[in-house]
Formats: sequence, structure tokens, C-alpha cells
Amino acid sequence: MTISAGTFTFVADLVRRCSAIELPAGKEYLVESRLLPLVRQADLAGVDEYVDTLRTVPHCAEHDRVVDALTTNETSWFRDFTPFQALTRHVLPTLAAEHPTRTSVRVWSAACSTGQEPYSIAMACLDAAPTLRVDITATDISGQVLARGRAGRYSQVEINRGLPAPMLVRHFARAGTEWELSEQIRCRVTFLQHNLMDPPPSGGRFEVIFLRNVLIYFDPQTRAEVLRRVRSVLAPGGFLLLGATESTFGSQDAWERVAIGHGSLYRLNARGAA
Amino acid sequence: MRALVIDDSATMRHIVADILQELGFDTCQATNGQEGLDLLESGQRFDLACIDWNMPVMDGLEFVAAVRARRQWPDLTLMMVTTEGERGQVVRALAAGAHEYVIKPFTADALASKLVLLGLLRGQERI
Amino acid sequence: MSMLGAVERQQVAEIAQEVFAAMVDRAPGLLRSAPVGPSAVADPLYAWVDLGTVPASRLLLTTDADTARALTRALLAMGEAQPVSEDDVADAFGEIANVLGGNIKALLPEHVGLTLPEVSRARPSGQAADACGEALFAWRGRPLVISLYTI
Repeated sequence: MTISAGTFTFVADLVRRCSAIELPAGKEYLVESRLLPLVRQADLAGVDEYVDTLRTVPHCAEHDRVVDALTTNETSWFRDFTPFQALTRHVLPTLAAEHPTRTSVRVWSAACSTGQEPYSIAMACLDAAPTLRVDITATDISGQVLARGRAGRYSQVEINRGLPAPMLVRHFARAGTEWELSEQIRCRVTFLQHNLMDPPPSGGRFEVIFLRNVLIYFDPQTRAEVLRRVRSVLAPGGFLLLGATESTFGSQDAWERVAIGHGSLYRLNARGAA
Repeated sequence: MRALVIDDSATMRHIVADILQELGFDTCQATNGQEGLDLLESGQRFDLACIDWNMPVMDGLEFVAAVRARRQWPDLTLMMVTTEGERGQVVRALAAGAHEYVIKPFTADALASKLVLLGLLRGQERI
Repeated sequence: MSMLGAVERQQVAEIAQEVFAAMVDRAPGLLRSAPVGPSAVADPLYAWVDLGTVPASRLLLTTDADTARALTRALLAMGEAQPVSEDDVADAFGEIANVLGGNIKALLPEHVGLTLPEVSRARPSGQAADACGEALFAWRGRPLVISLYTI
């Protein structure tokens, strides 16, 4: 291993403080491989040098990036699981109760990567509310991942990650060495290339927006700007879902936390909706 | 939390038990479905059984069916861990009463993610 | 026409790479196709499973005994210097054949059975029906041959 013991200890302490996850000894190779992309972005020579820059400054976005890089798993279906439960058990019923005549719901899955999140949303909604029309707009800055999302085909290893077996049999069929999502699910998701720095996708407001594990990559100013843009396309009474360790911190005067589960669910408060 | 690992391959038992131990489970091993059933009937309590399909004496599907038919262990989560990867096989296992299904090859975090789905682990427990 | 016709060479390579990345190495890229080179392995060890196709077919793995020991250590997450018994190696090498065989059989148009793995220093009977039935790989630079043929 090429990282110093001091580097490893610093990173382990940081991760433990921010996420309560323990990085056991022996995972030095993991620290190195996960942080190398950040090291390259910072244009530094190595992980030790990169971590040294974090020691002397107060906690900032770069620290959060380190924590996310270490705690993130590969793209998963139903990531963290509880937000999808919140979607079907709280969000959809609340929207239905407040607008009994509504027959469709628009959802935006921002930074959708290879599509597991928007398709998880589609599967959860289809299973919980089969007569509700759910139109999902899935965006990402990378054309490459969007192409994978549109294809809707995933490898054996990707399929094992977070996908309940009953959902597998209901919504997938084998396609060679891969598994392919049914047309019924695929047709509910439209993939678009989009940069969160740009004006939000057009076509009307969204009742639900998934913006998970993206904000931590931005500095506070950009974070607030992104949240402002997101707010501008959220329908009145709409819901925002963030990542498990994220919050609307810095913009909290517009948002109120919905007190269920792990607290990554938000709605606009009176001030924000104005 | 206690887990029962049932597979005729010592290698697979070792791999699965290691992952489960790192996730905080105490583990026991059995080499086929009958041995697994014997362990259950001896009164030992388990929260999870990870079961291979193709085994001599009593295969995984028979084990699942036997456990569900006896109704003695309602809190036991049954998860197949197998090379049987056809969609039809997954359907059969779920119909027989398995709660979850992992197709080999799998990674440790994939197994962990299934346990989160089953409520046996809280999310973000490990890296 | 044998059901094996449904299986493409590229698919076997993809499956092998996934199995090794997920379970043997816990990292991608250490198993590579090695299109050229002798397919004869010195001091060979064989592991195979038979598929219940009509006619029956065989998924055969061939490597040298030392590599088989290294594979065993990798699967069991053991240190390089730790001793492994012949039983450990037979079980581990056989299990790799089992997982490969299971994934290959899932490509077939109909569900078929899979025999329990066998491991031996003696090459099993039957031979590759054609050159396409054999694929050569390098695992951490060591030779590994995957053969799929009708028996």
C-alpha cells in the first residue's frame, strides 16, 4: 500500500465522524482507489498529499466528497431503501389525498447515472399504485451513462445489488448474460442529458424530485443555487428527496423536513412556496 | 443475529460465512438441506438461512419447502444463494417460500444490500 | 444442432470476467483473454461440470496445479504463504467451474441441470468439438483454459 498510516487514520476518523461507518484496518487499498479520482481532480501527486490539504482547513465540501467516495457503493437499485418506502407509503398517498382528481405524477430523477434510481422509482410506483400514471424524467450530465439507462440492460452483478428478487421476476427478463427491464417499466422513464448548472428540464413542474447524493459535490453557494433551480420546478406541495446524509442546510428557510424515517424527505414551506 | 449457511461446497460456505461475520452475524454451517433442517430442529435459533440450491440428500428448494411447511420458524429469513440463474428458477424458489435470491457470482456489498432490503441490516452499515 | 450453439464465445468471456471480478479477485481486470499462446498447460489440473443439454455438454477448466492453489487462496481471501490442502483446492477449483457452468447454462433456451463439479489430474473423456470450444485466459499472468464442448 502506498498511503501513510497517518493518512489512513485521518480518513477513517473523518468517515466515522460524518457517517458513523467504520473503516477497518486493512482497507488502505480501498482508501487509495476511492480517493484517486479526487486526487486527480485536485491535480495533486498522491493521496497523502491530497489528504494533507484537508487537515489544516475547517470542514468543507472536499471533506464531504471524501466521505461520499468512501461510503458510496456502486450504483444500486433502491439505494438506502427507505426513501422508496417513503415514496410509496407517504409521498404518493399524500399527493393523492391533496389532489384526489390527479391521475398522473411527474418525477425528476436528477443525476440518474445508469438508470437504477429512475427505474426503481418506476417499479415501486407500478407495484404500489398500478393505475397511477407516473412519468419519470431522468437526467445526467454524462451521455455514456444515459445510453446504458436507455438500454435498460444490466449485468448479473449489477442486478444483485439492492434489487428485491420479487421485483426481478416481475419486471426483468434474461437477455443473454444480462437482465433486461420490461417495456412496461422502460416506457415510464425518459432519459435526458442535463447539467444541474443549467435551467431545469422543461415540460412543467414535478410533483417529486430525487436529488440524491449530488449536492455534496458542490460548494455551499452552488448547492443553494441548485436547490433554487430545483425549487422553481417543484409543484406546490411537491416533495424533494435527498441522499441519506444530506440536508437542505444553507437553504433551510425555504424547506421543511418531513419527519418520517431517516429524514431525507423535504417539502417547501410557506416561504419557499411563495 | 445468527445465520445458517447451507452449501455442499466448503469454499462457498467459507465465503458466505465470512461476509456474514463481517456484517455482525454469528454463523453455523450445514452441508445439505437435511443437515440444515436437523440444526433447526435441534432448537437452535436463526434469523437467516443462506441456502444453495444443488446439494445432495436434500436440495435447497426442498429445504425451503420443508421449512415453510413446518411453520415452526416464522422469523427465519430464507435467502437462496445459488448458481441457478434462470428467471424461472427464481420464480420457483420464491413460490416455494424463499424470501430472497442471490445469483452467483455476487459481491459482499450485494449480499449486504439484500440483507438491508430484508430488514436484517440497517442501511450504510459498512463499506 | 446442439443447444450450445446458443452460447457465444464472447459471452463465456464476459461471464468468466464477472465471476473473477466479483468472487476471486474482488476487483476487475485481473482475468484477461489471451488470444494467442499455447493452450497446453504444464502440470495440469482439471475441473468440470456437465450440462444436461441434449447431447450432454461439458464446461472444463484447465490450469496448472500451482495456479489452482493460488485461485483457492484468492477465493478464500488467504495470504500468499498460507498452505492449502488438496481438498481445499478441489473444492475451490470445482466451485469456480460450478459458478461458470451455472451462468453459461442460464444462456440456454431451456432450463437444464448441472452435475456436481469434479476435479482431477486426469483429463476427462471427450474433446472439444471445434476450436471455438476453447478459450484461453491469463489470470494474474497465469494460464487458464475454459473449454465448452459436447460430450
